[in-house]
Amino acid sequence: MKEQEATIVAPAPRPLLSRTTREMLANYAYLLPAAICLGGTVLFPILKTINMSLYHNVLFRPQDYRFIGLGNYARMVQDQTFWLTLRNSFAWVLWSVSFQFVCGLAAALLLNASFKGRVILRTINLLPWIVPGVVVGLVWEYLYQPNYGPINDLLRRAALMREPAAWLSEINFAMPAVIITNIWRGIPFFTIMILAGLQAIPIEVYEAATVDGASITQRFWHVTLPILRPIIVVATATRIIWTFNYADLIFVMTNGGPADATQITSTYTLLVAYATLDFGYAAALSVILLVIMLVFTALYLKFTKGVESVAG
Amino acid sequence: MKDRGRFSRRQFVRTLAASGAIAASSLVGQKVPFLSPRKASAASTVLFQYNSPDAPRIPLVQSFVDEFNKSQSEYEVKIDWVPQAQSRQKILASIVAGNPPDVTMVWDQNLPEFEGMGALEDLTSQVKGWKHYAATNPIAWQTVTVKGKIVSFCLGYTNDGVFIRTDRVKEYGLKMPNFDWTWDDFLTLAKGFTRPEKNQYGFGMRGAGQWAFTYATEVMYGNGAQVLKDGKVVINSKEAIEAFEWYIDLLRKHKVTPPSAPTDAYRQIVMGFGRGVTSMVTHSSGSIEEQKNSVGEANFTTLPWPIGPAKKRASFYQCETLTMFKAAKNKEGAWKFMTFMMEDEPHFQYCAKTGMLPTREALLKRPPFTGQWYSGFIKSIPFTIVSPYLSYVGWGSILEAVGAPLIQAAMVGKITPKECLDRWAENLTRNMT
Repeated sequence: MKEQEATIVAPAPRPLLSRTTREMLANYAYLLPAAICLGGTVLFPILKTINMSLYHNVLFRPQDYRFIGLGNYARMVQDQTFWLTLRNSFAWVLWSVSFQFVCGLAAALLLNASFKGRVILRTINLLPWIVPGVVVGLVWEYLYQPNYGPINDLLRRAALMREPAAWLSEINFAMPAVIITNIWRGIPFFTIMILAGLQAIPIEVYEAATVDGASITQRFWHVTLPILRPIIVVATATRIIWTFNYADLIFVMTNGGPADATQITSTYTLLVAYATLDFGYAAALSVILLVIMLVFTALYLKFTKGVESVAG
Repeated sequence: MKDRGRFSRRQFVRTLAASGAIAASSLVGQKVPFLSPRKASAASTVLFQYNSPDAPRIPLVQSFVDEFNKSQSEYEVKIDWVPQAQSRQKILASIVAGNPPDVTMVWDQNLPEFEGMGALEDLTSQVKGWKHYAATNPIAWQTVTVKGKIVSFCLGYTNDGVFIRTDRVKEYGLKMPNFDWTWDDFLTLAKGFTRPEKNQYGFGMRGAGQWAFTYATEVMYGNGAQVLKDGKVVINSKEAIEAFEWYIDLLRKHKVTPPSAPTDAYRQIVMGFGRGVTSMVTHSSGSIEEQKNSVGEANFTTLPWPIGPAKKRASFYQCETLTMFKAAKNKEGAWKFMTFMMEDEPHFQYCAKTGMLPTREALLKRPPFTGQWYSGFIKSIPFTIVSPYLSYVGWGSILEAVGAPLIQAAMVGKITPKECLDRWAENLTRNMT
């Protein structure tokens, strides 16, 4: 047997960075592509918009392009149409989302029960959500049409109306009319979200509550709603933000009219940007919309305790 | 195993030969020679942005471009079809970026904006030497003249007239007015047409979009009003207010318009007439073809605006232009294409197919312009004027953003006609730059 030679292994050179640091850097490297994408598509446009809002920037007057600081924001304070659209926006969001939520919750509770034809009903319930917003707007515009629309026709046949009502052209009816359309369109969103939550509630929880003598109402208030709370909070916050920024229904149905009765801040921003080409002022309006939504979301999540679990 | 996926040199040559043989056999019987002069590489490109690509216009414009490309070998026009709603922004953005198309079709109302950016090529000297210059209606040069410079050709123009259902005139035993009808005749006829129980109304009034205020302004001119006088905005004059009150009363007092008028835009007024909801509507000759299909050729005619109390009337001239930009990369090609489009046949065909009026009188004497449907517009030519809203940069754009909400507020009774015109005058004055 050959005698083994003793070898001395040279110690590996000490790495430049510690293992923890290397792992951390690797993790950041994995995140980098997503961060670049988000930065390029979200952060950069926001910063660019903020920058644009500080300039007098009317596209067809390039010779007047200049830095005006908070000039566009000062103009906004004086702009009566802006304040009107802001009030309209709050009414639009408040009535739309609250009715969407209540009707969506009711529909979810109904569709969570076992009955024949449930699958078909669940599918039908999705229809308003599947149809594109522009098509929804056109269909409802036809329904509301004063001269040949089915709504007026039914009301007249039922002797509930003498003269045809111009639902979208009367200053008092226009906003409720577009809100009703938006409610119809948004109900399925809440139904799906809440239904998913309902189906995740273990049956044992209800059994335990029943054993403890809880009535149906008590089970709803003390079992169902608290467990659904995180879903409701997220769904409502999401929907409020969408609705606040949602412009296509109003654009198609009334184009903000009559006399700005249905003009919300997001449609007004589009009008300023693309009709008058005042990109500086439109950017300032967009920044204010962003700030309103950020403040709202922060407050909403704080007061509703966000998405913390019930146990937490 | 190792060489399984590789081609030997011999296999490669065989495959190449076989491919060639297959390709050659597929060409047998081809009518067009496989090898022909390669025009595209020799011709320089002219980029043409066309901004109203409706289904009937696409083949029409494409056929002109094909004909131009065939007619010479120096230039090849390529079309960029841009929906009308995005056309203005796209042109403005391309001007800002220093890369506009060589030539574009654009409405005259946008010319002051482009000129405001210093983007338009001055064509004055070239146009004045053009062979059809003198034969062209002078107003066609007036509308494309900005700051004393001719910047475009008028490819086709429209003015406004009144469409009338002649079959209903007979059906209801009404008196058909002649070309010199008055506001009173108009109101009498509108009342005679109105049958709310049958969903029929006398007049399709427009409350939405930029033409809402334009039509109302034409009515005001009938009472001797003007938008601008001696460099001052006078659209809130006594004459203008009286006329505007008369116009708003059609909706609020006489109820001869559909109740939806405050939010009715182009589509609603044109379709309203086409579906029989209204029996009179104001629009340009651009909707004649649509009404022929909807109402029937024999069932309608057109008249000029009625004469107002001041024994006046006006119709505003608007045109589709062919416009070249200062930063165009192929100005010679653009000019050649523009003049080709303005030759008798393309100019006539373009107007005849799109319902616009050609700018040379000789072409107006050919059908379809001799038909009854064009009579109201042709008769309006003597009192057709360039829209006063082209006077200042930005006035055209506030017609929709400011004008429409204001006129709607007057239509729904939120403000009086006087308040509406006062605010409108204030806005116009603020934008006089």
